[in-house]
Amino acid sequence: MYTKTTISQLKEAVAEWTKANEQKFQTERKEFRTESGIPISRVYTPLDLEAKGFDYLKDAGLPGEFPYTRGNTPVGYRGKLWGATAYGGKGALEESNALWKAQVAAGAGAIFVAYDLPTQLGLDPGNSKAVGEVGRVGISMLSQKDWEVAWDGIDFAKVGVAQVLNAPAIFGLANHITLAASKGIPVGEVRGLQQNDILKEYMARGNFIFPPTPSIRLTSDILQYVGTNMPNYQAVTVCGGHQTERGATKVHELALMMIDATTYLQAAVDRGVDVDRLAPGLMFFPGSDHFAFFEDVAKFRAMRRMWARIVRDRFKAKKPESMQCRIYAAGGGLGLHREQYLNNIGRIALATLAASLGGVEMFDTRSYDEQFGIPTTEAQVNSIRTQNVVAYETGVDSVVDPLGGSYFIESLTSEMEERAWKVIDEIDQQGGIVRALETGYVQRMISKDAYEWQKRFENGDIKRVGVNIFESNVGEAEKPVRIYRSDPAVEKKRVDSVVEMKKKRDNHKVARALDELTALAREPESATNNLVPAVIESVKEYATVGEVCDALRKAWGEFREPTTI
Amino acid sequence: MQERKIRVLLSKIGLDGHDRGVVNIAMALRDAGMEVIYLGRHVFPEEIAQAAIQEDVDVVGISSLADAHMTLIPDLVKTLKKRGSDIPVILGGFIQPEDVPQLKEMGVAEVFGIGSKLPAIVSYIQHMKLAA
Repeated sequence: MYTKTTISQLKEAVAEWTKANEQKFQTERKEFRTESGIPISRVYTPLDLEAKGFDYLKDAGLPGEFPYTRGNTPVGYRGKLWGATAYGGKGALEESNALWKAQVAAGAGAIFVAYDLPTQLGLDPGNSKAVGEVGRVGISMLSQKDWEVAWDGIDFAKVGVAQVLNAPAIFGLANHITLAASKGIPVGEVRGLQQNDILKEYMARGNFIFPPTPSIRLTSDILQYVGTNMPNYQAVTVCGGHQTERGATKVHELALMMIDATTYLQAAVDRGVDVDRLAPGLMFFPGSDHFAFFEDVAKFRAMRRMWARIVRDRFKAKKPESMQCRIYAAGGGLGLHREQYLNNIGRIALATLAASLGGVEMFDTRSYDEQFGIPTTEAQVNSIRTQNVVAYETGVDSVVDPLGGSYFIESLTSEMEERAWKVIDEIDQQGGIVRALETGYVQRMISKDAYEWQKRFENGDIKRVGVNIFESNVGEAEKPVRIYRSDPAVEKKRVDSVVEMKKKRDNHKVARALDELTALAREPESATNNLVPAVIESVKEYATVGEVCDALRKAWGEFREPTTI
Repeated sequence: MQERKIRVLLSKIGLDGHDRGVVNIAMALRDAGMEVIYLGRHVFPEEIAQAAIQEDVDVVGISSLADAHMTLIPDLVKTLKKRGSDIPVILGGFIQPEDVPQLKEMGVAEVFGIGSKLPAIVSYIQHMKLAA
């Protein structure tokens, strides 16, 4: 990128500068490293880019052009700002319906559905394993009957539905399609997205039901079905923030996202479906945290470059939409604290700035009271407004990829990519991701990161204001005035409503649809044996999430976690 | 005679999948020379009680972060008692402070909420064993 003369002159200048300032360097506080442990130099110059073999056109390019390091569009936020969202859910159907109607009235283009744990794990209220958990951390919505109540008065033609379902994602998709059809909206016009990223459940979040191999089959079924029928729908949201919340470093997060996305795409392509139909159905959901500010900016840029190269070179895709890594970033709860909790607003603002400097398409923030319970509406609104401040008041929207070309950011982008490829190779050597999850290799890798972090945090190497530095609480509010907590009475109502619902449907038809589903699940997967239509048939007869998952459990069994410590 | 190592059974309870904290604790207890049996995720009170008795542990440590502890913890404590066991149960995770007095009344020995430090948990278990 630079001429040999420039480089040699610069080397001389840096050597002289280093020599002249030896003594001043002694005053530096410590050795500096990024969150992932990457050593950070004092200052970055073109020499660092030279050392990385950085080639501007090949590695950065222009916005909207391969490898999309500088962004997916040529205009960035000058054309359209990132979408600001906040995630949350209430236990009772009516409570959620009211919340969603308020969100639609406030102009939300999509509703995010946070489910309770029993629904996410394919268990109906009344199941002994679900006791004490119904409606606790999200909505309990487990049949088409519930969908009819929860979405009453909401226009599916105008509002997208984004569901945080993974193991039973196929059930959520089938319900969405079924309710849309009954409102007269054809499948091709249904808008929304699914999380549908099962691999990260084994790695981090823990909401798995079936073993990895049949679970990946379900992902492929959805990818294929969406790729063929639903142009306005994202089939898979490849997650990274969950792994970092579990403890993974940002380098590990980057590697794991690329592995997961590649695994899903490969499985679906192996059925003989055109990659250019499938790849646009994937989007990415990495974390953005104030405490890893520069690493996250670099990570978003590295994600776009890596994914573009994977999809073009490995999958031989032709369309730009296939190669573009669409990023829906999310702030984490790890960076937020109870102590002096109002400081969290500043942290959320900085996480938003990192995401926007990284050029993400959407950003979902946590709320300042998140460490006390499910966020209150006030805190959620504040969190959106904090994003608005970054978007409308800082000028971050005025330049595309403003940190592109920074000697530091470009070096860090390349360094993170190199390190991520090493991790990808290591997991390949373990026999691939499925094997590495069955043996607990990946879980141990993340646990080790978490344990190291915890020790560094507890010994004061990692600092948090109000927690282990500036701990004085004089003049600080101790805790929020209001804390939301789900109503334990919801569970009883939900148990009763399932019993009632089952009395009113045609149970013979339900059983027949479920038997058919089990039979198809026992047959090998293929482009012609896709389970989505069979789940739609079951859902139409008001089969519950527990029943649909039981039909699949009969064919596949459940995943037994390996010992990971 | 060599003194028996402190034996600790750790587990998640119910459907909650957040295991970062409990695995950190498992590693810290091991580093402190204790024997740790970790049951993992999606484990229910009956299985935990059975394993605790079978493994003859000195203490049971439960992690809960999805607000189901007020149902599942009393269930575990009762199940242990029913089986004639007095193994102490300690609880960690996302526990609302207002729940703590009630949990202790129900028979929970100690609650380590958000922000608890590893050395504090290690030393609590060491002292608990000494006092026993």
